[in-house]
Amino acid sequence: MSSPLLAVSGLAKGYHRGGKAIAAVDNVSFAIGPGETLALAGPSGSGKSTIARLVLRLVEPDAGRIAFEGDDFLALNGAALRARRARLQMVFQDPLAAFNPRATVARVLNDPLRIHGIASRAERPRRIVALLERVGLSPNLASRAIHEISGGQRQRVAIARAIATKPSLIVLDEAVSALDVSVRGDILKLLLDLQTKERIAYLFISHDLGVVRAIAHRVVILDAGRITESGDARAVINAPQSAIGRELVAATPKLHRTTAP
Amino acid sequence: MTALLSIRDLSVAYRGNGREALKNINLDVAAGERIAVIGESGSGKSTLALVIAGLLPPSARIEGHIDWQTTEFRSSHSFAPPSVLPEMSGRTEGAKDRQPKFVPLGGRDIGLVFQDPSASLDPVMTVGKQIAEVAHTHLGLDWPQAFARAKTLLERVRLPDPDAAMHAYPHQLSGGQKQRVAIAAAIAASPKLLIADEATSALDTIVQAEIVSLIRQLVAEDGMTLLFISHDIALAAELADRIAVFRHGELVELGTTAQIASAPHHVYTRALLDAHIGLDTEPMLRRAGASV
Ligand SMILES: Nc1ncnc2c1ncn2[C@@H]1O[C@H](COP(=O)(O)OP(=O)(O)O)[C@@H](O)[C@H]1O
Ligand SMILES: Nc1ncnc2c1ncn2[C@@H]1O[C@H](COP(=O)(O)OP(=O)(O)O)[C@@H](O)[C@H]1O
Ligand SMILES: [Mg+2]
Ligand SMILES: [Mg+2]
Repeated sequence: MSSPLLAVSGLAKGYHRGGKAIAAVDNVSFAIGPGETLALAGPSGSGKSTIARLVLRLVEPDAGRIAFEGDDFLALNGAALRARRARLQMVFQDPLAAFNPRATVARVLNDPLRIHGIASRAERPRRIVALLERVGLSPNLASRAIHEISGGQRQRVAIARAIATKPSLIVLDEAVSALDVSVRGDILKLLLDLQTKERIAYLFISHDLGVVRAIAHRVVILDAGRITESGDARAVINAPQSAIGRELVAATPKLHRTTAP
Repeated sequence: MTALLSIRDLSVAYRGNGREALKNINLDVAAGERIAVIGESGSGKSTLALVIAGLLPPSARIEGHIDWQTTEFRSSHSFAPPSVLPEMSGRTEGAKDRQPKFVPLGGRDIGLVFQDPSASLDPVMTVGKQIAEVAHTHLGLDWPQAFARAKTLLERVRLPDPDAAMHAYPHQLSGGQKQRVAIAAAIAASPKLLIADEATSALDTIVQAEIVSLIRQLVAEDGMTLLFISHDIALAAELADRIAVFRHGELVELGTTAQIASAPHHVYTRALLDAHIGLDTEPMLRRAGASV
């Protein structure tokens, strides 16, 4: 890869629980290119969400380096960090849970535009309409409260919020895991469309290897905080080499369809 | 086939909710079969579990009835049905009909396992005590016998250290271990019917596979009937003999697992199958140089 968008090296984070030390993330290195999807897969507790939080600088690592858009991301602070955060967004499983459920969709989308100084107050309503249309929602939804819209619509609003600041990378932590399958397919298509047109890269965290294989370029398999294998998503999932990789594939439910009549 | 239960013209509406959660359901569940109920969120799956187990809130309006094959229950237990006279075929009736009839009891005749084991486990009671209590209450065992049964059950659900688990509190266990305990409690009174409502949905893939194989084994060993509720058609297909597809409170298709998976009749079933993303699904991502 010529110049990675994100390069993580030697990342480590430990926790203490009940007097016991846990290596949540242990010497993890990977890189993501512009417009690329890198998936993190692994059993529960393998360190996926901790990596997401480290990359987003929601927690600080014990060791390691994170280079983002060519800069030492861990060294940024103040205004420089705030400016760079606009380029690195996130979508979680229930990303609007932190909002007051009575907050309107417009409010949720107005915040990033205001905080990052992306649009003037007068311009914002037009921007909000454009964002809603970009994620396939009716502009009429702007005045609705978060609790009044469906789970799939909420996830579209979360994606609209994430792309409001024109990011180069979005961290998605189990972002489609709670969605109904019919809705999930449309959200994945939306993500792929955004990637193609805006060249957004994704750090895509999922425990679902089927979904990973469907939308990721490359995959990193984790177990107990360590990388057990990584490579082309289809190649790794079609023929996993590590023990945990094989276990994950074996445990994935398989639909046996005999030939259609 | 002997029907363990026959659901007839069953409709359920929650108070304050104009739309019916279940609409005119007709379904026979055969004794000893593993039947899956699948559908998207809000399709009525949990309502079906609750109405079968007699656990709907009193304000819910129930129409139609559920006929139970009472002999199935009496052959396995030597208890008197709760406050009613046993009949050859009892029924759970709508609110208007209050005739004395056999109604199986949730927890005793029907074991229930839900998505969140913490919700069904008491956080301040040891695991051993919770399971023993089910056996004590429903099987009339004295406490030493009930605790011995709890220990055996913890071994059967393959907890790594059953002796330690007897004295553990739920918060000391992992999600998968808690679900094993919830399953042990659900089967402690030797129910005829085990209902698992999204019992593996909060677990990771590997633990899910372990719990599914555990449920399969326990159901086979004890000759239980299984009602396996899931939003995941592939998971349902791995476990079930038959699959019932629900949508907006209606049963849209019922068939053998092979027929549903390979030759669905209903467009909605086909849509669910098409939406499934498995390890053999054509990737959505088109890559330069990659064959499409
Ligand atoms: N804030 C925290 N305090 C203590 N332990 C934590 C904390 N966050 C994560 N852990 C532990 O770190 C490990 C990795 O967790 P996590 O990154 O959430 O894994 P995953 O997302 O793959 O399920 C687990 O053992 C978890 O219990
Ligand atoms: N306690 C309740 N009060 C009012 N409405 C409810 C209640 N429980 C479920 N519902 C409604 O009934 C319908 C079916 O819900 P449910 O049986 O939980 O579906 P599923 O388990 O398939 O997701 C939904 O529209 C849901 O909102
Ligand atoms: Mg996580
Ligand atoms: Mg449910």
